[in-house]
Amino acid sequence: MHMNPSIFVIVPAYNEANVVRSVLKKLIEFGHTIVVVDDGSSDHTWEILQELPVHALRHPINLGEGAALQTGMSYALSKGADVIVHFDADGQHRVEDIAVLTAPILSGEADVVLGSRFLRESDAEAVPARRRLLLRCARIINGLLTGVWLTDAHNGFRALSAEAASRIHLHENRFAHASEILSQIRQSGAHYIERPTSILYTDYSQEKGQSAWNGIRIVIDIVVRKIFR
Amino acid sequence: MRPVQLILIVMLIGILFLYFNRLRSGLVDRVVVALFVVVGITLAAIPDVTMKIAAFVGVGRGADLFMYLALVGIGFFLLVLYSKLRDIESTISELARSVAIDTAHEPGRAADPRPSEPFPKKE
Repeated sequence: MHMNPSIFVIVPAYNEANVVRSVLKKLIEFGHTIVVVDDGSSDHTWEILQELPVHALRHPINLGEGAALQTGMSYALSKGADVIVHFDADGQHRVEDIAVLTAPILSGEADVVLGSRFLRESDAEAVPARRRLLLRCARIINGLLTGVWLTDAHNGFRALSAEAASRIHLHENRFAHASEILSQIRQSGAHYIERPTSILYTDYSQEKGQSAWNGIRIVIDIVVRKIFR
Repeated sequence: MRPVQLILIVMLIGILFLYFNRLRSGLVDRVVVALFVVVGITLAAIPDVTMKIAAFVGVGRGADLFMYLALVGIGFFLLVLYSKLRDIESTISELARSVAIDTAHEPGRAADPRPSEPFPKKE
């Protein structure tokens, strides 16, 4: 690792014009290199990105969050990133937690660090009861399907070393990528650990969050992938 | 010959005609479809054959046997179509990805007077 490791924060954004500016402002204040992938938004997301000091990429059509993350990772690797962080555009992740996730990679303790909202009592309590139940189920399904047993499921906040990121290629464009990335991390033999991160449950992120129906769709996607790949 | 036999035969010939005319496909595909239609016409014209086959495999009526076979066949085609769709989707994704990376706006050029639309129409 260099003396001055470059940390690239990847933010997939789809129709996030309402919040993307404030979320990115915070990231910019912390001095991170930011790669925002506009996933074919139909609102003003792209225009807003042009005004900010970020690397702005745009999919000509909407592909899904998994595809946006993969685009961001490929780009960051081509720009010489040492550490890659996945960060949600809807403001539910705390910028302060980025350091929590990147520290084990910079010290060589792990190749991949996954954020979890169930490692600290206070974070777990902040999760609405219904979501907590849903996430418990998702955790078990994830474990069974990927062989990676975590305390949290579908937490999009994670950090990867460049080496680990280069061994991952997401094919699942939609939300099943969260499980796919775990399978690939396991298959690549990368050393992964979890670190506590808190989630800010705002009305906005709640609204954008996943419903139980989405959860069922994810399982179907994963099963289909197992059959076809 | 009952009317239903005639209807079935006409529809099968229609399928063959459409397939050969509208779809550009390889020789193997054409032979398979032609065979399928020939077998279909034979069975529609001579229902006794179907009944004998049905009795042989232990299904009561020839029509029932056909329904089972058709269901399995449709399921198979749906799977083939679905996997083709996934292939197409992944090709499109790679294409969109390389377009996005090639047209990336870097932070230093935030004040760049280039058009804000990354894919300007050619004049």
